[in-house]
Amino acid sequence: MSDAAATITRDRQRLEMSALSAPAVIFTVAMIAFPVVYTIWLGFQTFSSTGKQSFAGLANYSKLISDYEFWHGLWITIALFVLSLVLQLVFGVWLALVLFHAKRLPGIVRSLFISPFMMPPVVAGMMWLVILDPSLGAANYILQSLGLPPSDWLASPSLVIPTIALIDSWQWTPYVALIVLGGLQSLPPSVYEAAQIDGATPFKTFPRITLPLLLPTIVTAAILRSVDLLRFFDIIYITTQGGPGNASNTLNIYGFRVGFEFFNIGYASALMLTLTAIVFGAVLAFNRLRGAVAW
Amino acid sequence: MKARMLVTHVALPVLAIAAASAQARAADFDWMKFKGKTVTFLANNNPVSQALLTYKADFEKLTGMTLKVDGYQEQQMRQRLVTVMNANSDEVDVFMTLPSREGEQFAAAGWYGDLTAMAKNDVAREYDPAGLSQALLKAATFGGKLTSMPMNIEGPIFYYRTDIFKKCGIEAPKTIKDVEAAAEKIKTCDSAVTPFVSRGLKPAIAYTFSNVLHNVGGSYIAAGKSNLCSAKGKEALDTYSRLLRDFGPPGVVNYSFQQISALYRSGRAAMAFESSNELRTVMEGGARLKDTGLLPFPAGEAGQVPTTIGWGMAVSSHSRQPDAAWYFVQWATSPEVQKKMALQGIAPPRPSVAKDPEYRKWIDEEPVRKEWQAALDVLATKGSSEVGYPIVANPESREFIGQAVQDLILKQKPIDQACADADKALDALIAQK
Repeated sequence: MSDAAATITRDRQRLEMSALSAPAVIFTVAMIAFPVVYTIWLGFQTFSSTGKQSFAGLANYSKLISDYEFWHGLWITIALFVLSLVLQLVFGVWLALVLFHAKRLPGIVRSLFISPFMMPPVVAGMMWLVILDPSLGAANYILQSLGLPPSDWLASPSLVIPTIALIDSWQWTPYVALIVLGGLQSLPPSVYEAAQIDGATPFKTFPRITLPLLLPTIVTAAILRSVDLLRFFDIIYITTQGGPGNASNTLNIYGFRVGFEFFNIGYASALMLTLTAIVFGAVLAFNRLRGAVAW
Repeated sequence: MKARMLVTHVALPVLAIAAASAQARAADFDWMKFKGKTVTFLANNNPVSQALLTYKADFEKLTGMTLKVDGYQEQQMRQRLVTVMNANSDEVDVFMTLPSREGEQFAAAGWYGDLTAMAKNDVAREYDPAGLSQALLKAATFGGKLTSMPMNIEGPIFYYRTDIFKKCGIEAPKTIKDVEAAAEKIKTCDSAVTPFVSRGLKPAIAYTFSNVLHNVGGSYIAAGKSNLCSAKGKEALDTYSRLLRDFGPPGVVNYSFQQISALYRSGRAAMAFESSNELRTVMEGGARLKDTGLLPFPAGEAGQVPTTIGWGMAVSSHSRQPDAAWYFVQWATSPEVQKKMALQGIAPPRPSVAKDPEYRKWIDEEPVRKEWQAALDVLATKGSSEVGYPIVANPESREFIGQAVQDLILKQKPIDQACADADKALDALIAQK
């Protein structure tokens, strides 16, 4: 077969393959694109309380600027994000180190350590709601048994965010630990051997060798958790529904209520697109950071 | 004389013909008319629908239709409904609705099918639409259109521990002030129990708070403006929040029916103001069966104006088979089915069912059931369906009522500021057309 004939055959094969895979590709792209495009379109509409719809231009976005609940929700979202992420990264790395060094830990114990993130968040939320009930819950019972004062936990405007951050961290720290454990297991032993020859103690190797080498893995874990934390919904909805007052009313909870309880789908879409932009911004920032710490 | 002649010669014959034709239509009624069709029912997965759906097979056998049930928790059900209705989809034929909450809104959006003619003309002989609670039918009528048929009757009632009251030497409260006095006394007499508990979760507060507001003589709207900062409005806000703050459990701002029932059932609350529907949950395990008394919420300056609502069954305006859907609604709200549901503890919206010997026998089995029915009788005769603001944006209005109460429970604002902030937000909602 001549080169020209071979090229024609190859091109035809490519064309046939493209044609065969086109329906699946179009379907997949449509599945991703349609909800996004539809939400963008909804963001330019206004819906009255009776569901009547009309074009609103940028009105929903200009309303955001003067909406106290939006700024409050944004602040709560960021506070919860920062607090939870720090807790999960710190304890995730610690748990990974424990699991890495405790080689003789039975498999069942290892499984138990990482089991919380396998639990559906709704179940975790219900469980913690019962445990943290100020009257009937086990948490206050334990505190009082130890002679400590009881706490209002999720019912206190000042404690609700740290408490939700603790619940989320309880559930997702093992996930971070699992990622970091993978990173630890892939670190080159030769670096540690060289450090040992140079007389480095474990207290020195951790900050000077382990942590810098682990940074790309930790940043990857941070990216994965950031996306989840910025669109955090289920546990808050189950435990507080944004309360007490508006103390845990994140952008997500606020958007849900505006859309599905007050039926203002247009404004809710604008809120959620703004949140999506924030999520993208955070992912881009972390991606850059990952590039900077890669080795 | 002329008037009497008009009555005897014109009106009575016309009525007789109308009655005869209605009877004839009832006689022609055929439950198998829509045999082979499938009706989709969007249900709130609560005790009312659970009791109803126990008899799903009976409906399918009676009509030859298939009943497809799409069941969710209350909020998720509304979420699904909003999506379906906004898409003008015919996926749902019949849905459960709370007219007191979303009636104005759904009616204005055109989501309810008009049941007026069907309830009059297309009924089985035994259906007896006039036997349903007239107050609930009125509450489900918007712009002259009947939008749903009542499934049950319910409202918040006052649960109290007779043994604790006896131990502390307290009489059953007759007024709101008696409730406060009793709570004060229980606080010192039995410090192990929570004296009083009711709803403190923001969106849930309006359900119980409305009863207090109406009992003290307050109203949500006066002269087209929000009225929470009126003297009566402030009295209601102050009373309700003080009862929860001073005598309620820690963390009461997250309390809705689940937590209240659990606390009372476990014996850790002396008084609870919670839905009549919770009787079955509260009595689970039998621990509270012999030491609980039940009353409508004690009177204020305006007497007793209990909150009375009920779940209704509506036909979707987008249903392609409203007639078949109506057959399901009719079966579900018929005297026979409502009697069966009543025997499962679902308070019937039909006085005739409430008087049925079999149901009375069930009621008479336990004193607490008797008190429950007596309280429901007061709800049925004196009740108001106004829960939150009687406006299209009723669900949103409940947010601001709840916020004002929570601000006071948590001592985040003085009462003048809490009610003024709420009034300002609520005036904006009232102004929305």
